[in-house]
Amino acid sequence: MRADEVGDAFGLNPAVGYAALLLVAVTTLLIGIYGLRISRTTGDFYVASRTVRPWWNASAIGGEYLSAASFLGVAGLILISGTDALWFPIGYTAGYLMLLLFVAAPLRRSGAYTIPDFAQARLESLPARRVTSLLVIVVGWLYIVPQLHGAALTVSITTGLPAWVGPLAVVVVVCAGVMGGGMRSITFVQAFQYWLKLTALAVPAVFILLRLGVEGLPVTDGGAAFTADLNTTAGASLYSTGSLVIALLFGTLGLPHVLVRFYTNPDGASARRTTLIVLALLSVFYLFPTLFGILGRIYTPDLAVPGAADATVLMLPGRIFYGAAGDALTAFVTAGAFAAFLSTSSGLVVSLAGVVSQEFFSGSVRGFRRAAVLSTLVPLVLALLTDSLALAGSVGSVFAFTASTLCPLLLLGIWWRGLTDAGAVAGMLAGAVLCGGSILTAALLGPEAASLDWLRQPALWTVPAAFLVMIVVSRATRGRRPAGTSRVLARLHTPEAPGPRLAGPKAEPSVD
Amino acid sequence: MTTPEPLRPPPAPDSGRPDSGPPARVRVTAPRTSARPSTGTYPVTREMAEHSAVGEVFVGSLIRSQLRLALVVAGGFLIILIGIPVLLGLFPSIREVTVFTVPVPWLLLGLGVYPLSIACAALYVRSASRNEKRFQDLIDEG
Repeated sequence: MRADEVGDAFGLNPAVGYAALLLVAVTTLLIGIYGLRISRTTGDFYVASRTVRPWWNASAIGGEYLSAASFLGVAGLILISGTDALWFPIGYTAGYLMLLLFVAAPLRRSGAYTIPDFAQARLESLPARRVTSLLVIVVGWLYIVPQLHGAALTVSITTGLPAWVGPLAVVVVVCAGVMGGGMRSITFVQAFQYWLKLTALAVPAVFILLRLGVEGLPVTDGGAAFTADLNTTAGASLYSTGSLVIALLFGTLGLPHVLVRFYTNPDGASARRTTLIVLALLSVFYLFPTLFGILGRIYTPDLAVPGAADATVLMLPGRIFYGAAGDALTAFVTAGAFAAFLSTSSGLVVSLAGVVSQEFFSGSVRGFRRAAVLSTLVPLVLALLTDSLALAGSVGSVFAFTASTLCPLLLLGIWWRGLTDAGAVAGMLAGAVLCGGSILTAALLGPEAASLDWLRQPALWTVPAAFLVMIVVSRATRGRRPAGTSRVLARLHTPEAPGPRLAGPKAEPSVD
Repeated sequence: MTTPEPLRPPPAPDSGRPDSGPPARVRVTAPRTSARPSTGTYPVTREMAEHSAVGEVFVGSLIRSQLRLALVVAGGFLIILIGIPVLLGLFPSIREVTVFTVPVPWLLLGLGVYPLSIACAALYVRSASRNEKRFQDLIDEG
């Protein structure tokens, strides 16, 4: 069953879809335009001048991080795979624990805007910077594509419009918002969108549970919702579960749109506080997709086929409520879904545009805008040319790729004196070739690769391989260790001195 | 629906512009390869203290203790996480136990892991700050 047929088959009211999409798009643009009036300098554009408070920042990180895969994909996977799917939200959340433990504070203290900046500062090498930039751009593009697939699904289900309308709408709104206000306005948009997404699942969930309770309808059907008989996919092996968890835990570390957020914290300690809040916000959020997935196992079992399962969240309210109440709740979840594509895509576009404009457009505001257009067009073309089967799965592959490339660079760069530029480049390229190669091979083989877990979920061996190559080559090229290593490491790990930063304008230091 | 009210930030000490009047447009033409330093200052005396032989030892021991802390917390979390499927594999009868019709595996994976990760994170934040405070005291004494 194709995505657009699902909508036709169940007769969602198109007016509801239009209203929800318009509402989110207009609100996003309004906040973006309001942000434009107060963002003036290049610093504002890139990292909100580092004046964002932990709660704001944490909401913004949550808003940016909770993508189509989380909002639609998790419930869809629970519908078809049962407990195996629960590992996805665990990995998405616990990734922030790893980020907190190994990356958050040191990276903030590094004083770099982007991962390539970090690579250059740490390794004192332009080639290492270039390779890192290239990988960041690839990861960003690959990660936007599933967002656009999600948009295509949502728009065609809720409005009946052709599938290309959704991706195009997302791209237009994101471009307008990003080019308008850059990072500062995006921070407000993102923070707003976390709470929008949470409300968009929590309110329908509460109403659904109330109605089920009042009418005495089954919630878990006496436990029948949990039986593995309802799964339409084969159970995951221990290897593939482990590999998935490794990919998600360590892939989060390297996601460009997540990292750039940490530079908006005033110092390392607040970067840690922010991460802790993010962890709590994500934990609360993921309860709801899980609930939708479980309810879906009783009320939308017909969606349990590849390609349609991601519609579970959108269809469920209409299965339990009829008429206006059903329409209103459907509008709610649709708005949340659209917010999910918008926020993740705009976060990615901001960080990508930051990297692309520094690399190719000399870092000016105009260059940032050009780079923003470029960063959205490529994934748009990719999304229109490809077809998505399961959102959570394709996002999982991007995490595996990030974990095999950018994660070793960050971890070893922050914690190991011995890293050299040659080692970093060799490790990243090895990870990219091994991980990218196996995912591509698995995709090309199609159904034949279904049993080849090591190809479809390569993280468990490609991440250690990348680390190994990075360490071995660094050891072999000991002589290339950057002269400033101990200075940089001291900078990364020692707390900022307390003092003038709280004293206000009088203490105007002549840094820069 | 309330839209978030963006607060006009106090002029950041590193913004490099006067705090009166509307902010001026800035055009940056040079490639920007490094950001401004974080808002905390980094006094010369402190820098010298850190790069003396003793300072290097202090920094080295700070990095080691932070790494050890991070590895211990990550290791503990991962062992519990991996422990869940291993335990369920070893004792399949656990799968049959239910609480309010919800089987234990669903409870553990759908609910239980989240408080665990938050607890690990809170523990780490406290200990990491303590390590930094100890380092700060050492440097300030020295």
